[in-house]
Amino acid sequence: MEQRAISRVSLTWRIVVAVLGIGLLLNGSLRMSDDVWPFGPLSQYAFSPPRDATIVITRVEGLLTDGRRIDLPLRVGTAGISRAEIEARIPQITADPSLLRSVADGWTERHPDEPPLVQVWLVQDETRLVDGRKGPTKLVELSTSVVAR
Amino acid sequence: MRKIVGWFAPVLPEARVAILRSVLYVFVLLDIHVIVRDPIPLSRHPELYQPLLLARVLHLPPPSVPLSVTLYVILLIGCVIGTAGRLPRLAGWIVAAAFTWWTAIGMSYGKVDHDHLALVVALWVLPTVGVVNGRWRSRQRSAQAGWALKCIQIAVISTYFLSALTKIRSGGWSVTSWPESSILLWAIIRRPHGLGQFLLPYPELLHVMQWMSFTAELTSVVVLWLRGRALLAAAMFWMGFHVFTAAILYIHFAPTVICWLAFAPLERLGPWFARVKARRRQRTGRGAARHPVPVLRDQPIDGAG
Repeated sequence: MEQRAISRVSLTWRIVVAVLGIGLLLNGSLRMSDDVWPFGPLSQYAFSPPRDATIVITRVEGLLTDGRRIDLPLRVGTAGISRAEIEARIPQITADPSLLRSVADGWTERHPDEPPLVQVWLVQDETRLVDGRKGPTKLVELSTSVVAR
Repeated sequence: MRKIVGWFAPVLPEARVAILRSVLYVFVLLDIHVIVRDPIPLSRHPELYQPLLLARVLHLPPPSVPLSVTLYVILLIGCVIGTAGRLPRLAGWIVAAAFTWWTAIGMSYGKVDHDHLALVVALWVLPTVGVVNGRWRSRQRSAQAGWALKCIQIAVISTYFLSALTKIRSGGWSVTSWPESSILLWAIIRRPHGLGQFLLPYPELLHVMQWMSFTAELTSVVVLWLRGRALLAAAMFWMGFHVFTAAILYIHFAPTVICWLAFAPLERLGPWFARVKARRRQRTGRGAARHPVPVLRDQPIDGAG
């Protein structure tokens, strides 16, 4: 097999880039936050919930004009936005419930055959751990918004 | 010094780079439809946009539907050209920049995923190898190819090793806090779809699994020095790990998994494929009337053959 030549300059910048990249990654993991993506810490599932942690699942529920109150699944395909994105915005949404309209609009757009939404709620299923085992679950309402038409 | 240079830029077959490029550009096409598929719908919600440092430093305009659709079209065209092995530098860097931007948009609405590190690195380093003569069947080796492949390998392993470091950091610089925590229980309750449901009654078993994965992540750096069977065994272990997390938590790390191919001797595919083709041609080309066995009365009329 033939071997392609490589110049000293070519080799030098490659090694400098590799070392810099490793440095940035280590710096990101040891000191920075997600903000420095793609060099941020690999923090998914990297925290340590205690044995009595409260586990929260955030959901959005909607009341339809036919009286049904249903779960609006927080996935891009069903509501145009995912659960994690809503969770990251809980303080903003509780301060300004009208932000829930992004979910309402996204869901309505993707479900043209369903009756219109009257009201939406931001809710959480709270499951408590008891001594490291699954305990009881309760529903908590965080915010609500009437859907303007 | 020479040893360090040889480690960062080993002389490796360019065919591996050519094949990996084609595979990854096809994967990017899949990725923008299946994994990071939300930049277009997300760009309809400017009120939720929270730009990452990258977007602020480069003064990237806030996402809008025309912008995300443009990136989408650029990625489609760039990946098709890249898969065909044409314009490796130009198409490669356009795809790298567009995909980084696209993914950054997907991560700018509050949630940042960590499975794209190796893929983003791969897209940036692969174009540096430039034109590979003979493409998939190239018979050339180079340090240029070796460096690009090594960078991807480092990025794959970093995904595991750095996540172990992050676990130590987030647990208050403690090695035991994460493996002894209720993290898997937490994850299974939050994602109540996979097979993890069956593990809920056994928190002790979950702790054992946490210790195993944490130890594997912390020691994963070793993989960068493995060869041959040991490397194959390590790769099989990590594939098993991903199948397992996908089954119990519905978490796939497909963009990382595909980059494991940088470790694989893909260059053997070209010659192997050529051998298979030659054998088939030989088989079908032999014998009268192209039949593998002589057919009665199919002999030449003069009886000479």
